Amino acid sequence: MNGPPEERMSELRQLFFESAGELVERLNDEAMQLEKTPGDRETARSLRRTVHTLKGDSAACGFRELSELAHEFEDVLTLENRDLEAAVPPIALKAADVFAGLLDAYRNETKLPSIQSLRADIARLAHPSRSPASKAKNKKAGKVSAKKTHWTEYEQLSLARAAAANKKIYHVLVQIDPQCAMPIAGRQMIQLALTELGELLAIYPADGSHQPATQIEAAIASEKSAEAIKVKCSIPTISTDVKVKILRVESRGASPAPRAINEEDNATLQAEEAGSTVAVGSETDASGTATLEDFADTSSTPIEEFASFPAAHLADKLLRVDAERIDGVLNLVGELILAKSMLQQALIEFGQRFPKDALRGKFSDAMAFQGRVLNDLQHSVMKIRMVPVDQLFRRFPRIVRDVGIQCGKEVRLSVRGGQTDLDKSILDSIAEPLTHLVRNAVGHGLETSEERVRAGKTPQGQLRLSAYHQGNQVVIEISDDGRGIQVEKVRQRAVAQGLIKAEALDRLTEAETLELILEPGFSTADEVTELSGRGVGLDIVQSVLTRLKGTVQIETVAGKGTTFRLRLPLTLAIIRALMFRVDHRLFALPLNAISEIARTVEGEIRQVEQYDVLQLRDDVLPLLRLGSKPLSGPDTARRKVFVLVIHSGERKFGVIVDALEGEDELVIKALDDQSVKTDLVSGASILGDGRVVLILNMIALMERFTRGRATNAGALTSGLLSGSILPGVTDGGSQTSQELRRAAGSQA
Amino acid sequence: MEKFVAVKRAEDGQPVRYLIVDDSVFARKNLARMIESFGGQIVGEAGDGVSAIKEYERLSPDIVLMDITMPQMEGIEAAEKIVRNHPGARIVMVSSVGYQENIVAALQRGARHFVQKPVKPEVLYEVIKYVMKDESTPARGAGAGV
Repeated sequence: MNGPPEERMSELRQLFFESAGELVERLNDEAMQLEKTPGDRETARSLRRTVHTLKGDSAACGFRELSELAHEFEDVLTLENRDLEAAVPPIALKAADVFAGLLDAYRNETKLPSIQSLRADIARLAHPSRSPASKAKNKKAGKVSAKKTHWTEYEQLSLARAAAANKKIYHVLVQIDPQCAMPIAGRQMIQLALTELGELLAIYPADGSHQPATQIEAAIASEKSAEAIKVKCSIPTISTDVKVKILRVESRGASPAPRAINEEDNATLQAEEAGSTVAVGSETDASGTATLEDFADTSSTPIEEFASFPAAHLADKLLRVDAERIDGVLNLVGELILAKSMLQQALIEFGQRFPKDALRGKFSDAMAFQGRVLNDLQHSVMKIRMVPVDQLFRRFPRIVRDVGIQCGKEVRLSVRGGQTDLDKSILDSIAEPLTHLVRNAVGHGLETSEERVRAGKTPQGQLRLSAYHQGNQVVIEISDDGRGIQVEKVRQRAVAQGLIKAEALDRLTEAETLELILEPGFSTADEVTELSGRGVGLDIVQSVLTRLKGTVQIETVAGKGTTFRLRLPLTLAIIRALMFRVDHRLFALPLNAISEIARTVEGEIRQVEQYDVLQLRDDVLPLLRLGSKPLSGPDTARRKVFVLVIHSGERKFGVIVDALEGEDELVIKALDDQSVKTDLVSGASILGDGRVVLILNMIALMERFTRGRATNAGALTSGLLSGSILPGVTDGGSQTSQELRRAAGSQA
Repeated sequence: MEKFVAVKRAEDGQPVRYLIVDDSVFARKNLARMIESFGGQIVGEAGDGVSAIKEYERLSPDIVLMDITMPQMEGIEAAEKIVRNHPGARIVMVSSVGYQENIVAALQRGARHFVQKPVKPEVLYEVIKYVMKDESTPARGAGAGV
């Protein structure tokens, strides 16, 4: 009824891994919370709940090791032993790690990690209070022996009373399933069933006793048949065998007592009848059998619909969807946007051919409507992909704690902006680099307490993690108030390791110098502490950020601390871009990168040293020429050009382009390395009329611009995109664009 | 999964309507899957005791499958509150072995039955059949013989 069972099972499995992962994270959080506020009941309880849920879920999925381990741990937590409070958090943290390891192993079907050490810890935690408890249990268990019961005097009396009232009295013997995991609860069930059948006159073992029992013996007075009693007492999972016999009780002599008893009985009988009448009434109301039966047939369908609708809505506010499916939808949205451009193009042609046709207006109305809906659709799909960065930030308290303990440092972590949304795929990609930065900040950025006190700081190091939106970007900052990075040392190191020539070094600004620590070759292996230790494997930060078309910015003040600022695009798939021409070729830049467009003529562009610059209002704007410099001729000075003013971070520069083509929403198709051999192009897109547009990588462009200035200014004047940098595009002509289209199309 | 003969409501032959209460989404889905294989209909789900009560009032399900350990309000308390207002409510507690005392408490407060986690479909099926057969129980005063 819901697809093949195997498929549902694998969906369930998937769901299990996702929710179990969250539970482990929660366990982490709660353990750390408990560490901070030892003895906090609420936290302890919710920690136990987390372990409990994990146990139940994993048992249902058949992951025995995890479920058993969680079970053992939960048992210990249930003890709520005050003496053990302090010991719980570290074990809970360890448990979270082990659980996570088990989950990984289950998921990847690899060898399970060892759980012995955790098991031993748990056992140690349990030991001081567990053994007396089990002893007590054994003692109790030993008492259970009585098989055949003699009714007590009181019970005999009640039996006699019932018999005197002409009631049928049954002797019921119920065998309890030895497999029943909860015999006490089972007994409770049987007792409940008996009570519902009639008047319970006697029962063994007695109510409230907590001894395990293999059978229950009872006497009840009931109106029901023996068969009905048998059915009622055949409780699944609890009773194996039920024997029901009519019990004959001799009525004792006609002393004055029986009459009084009779009256009393009548009274209770009446009360009981009244009670059951009420019950019948309410039952009828609730199920609607009697009064609603007649129209139930006709109206059942709408009622069902009504009932199922809010249920579906309420069942789960959160829906788990494979990210790939959303990507699929997004891809389709991209294709739709493409189709829209095609239609737009057709409409323009139509308008040119039949300028007076009334159909044109209708077309464009429909187009506008479609465009609006498409826009909304795109935004909705984008929103689905967005997740709060908190999903990532949540893991850091634990990492900070662990690294802090390792290095013997006191660290206070504060997190802000956890609710900031970011594309899920981007979030996943930055998990590793961010972890690296956090580890580094604690391990190397912050000083030990003694050092800090000597430097006049608080003994506790501060680490701040924050995220916020800025324009179309998300900014994530990791800042510490540690010792900072010594720029001079970075310089020496970079030169010593041959990353940069000493002459070139002088031209770098401080920020640019700091970025050297993100270079792959930059290592501080032998002089970690001397060099403030930054830069251990930090090239991963740079490489991931470059891939995501984001940037890293480093700010540091010696003795005061360091801030790493990561800027990331909100999403990767669709951008609003400005299209323009350079040397008759079509390019695009993300619209949000462009802060202004200036119109000028070649004659206005001045040369300062080797740079092209433009006087823009009160500023002198350095220019980047993408195309080839026009040959000087009589008209050159009057040739019109556009300058796109790009403002990013601290930097501001202009890009000279020949003509503007308009703006559009571009669905970015990734290009493989074979199609384009430059990092200046980040992707391509196909326009509605089938033309290919190359999307320039703003960050690489900017880097080239600043680096170029520092190293080889001459390259700039010849034009970045002419000649060697984009050989395929500039040399191949239309053939190349077809190849590109194929390359780009194959990504769709 | 094995095929079960669908359990229907005795009074009108309609599918049994269920409310599933558990704070684990996974557990809910797992139960839902079993119930669907019994031909039941899940009319609602709740993740804690407070919403379980609300959902019961709104949906009047035939059976409530109630977890015990939950945030906000635990299953026992929720079961007790539901039964207090609706003596006919059929609540089946779903919990792990270590919670026997809680099960006893829940049964004393009006829960009809319990199943143990991890829930086995065939066990749940028997329990549901049993609990649904209980239809006649509150009507015993009316003299129903069998």
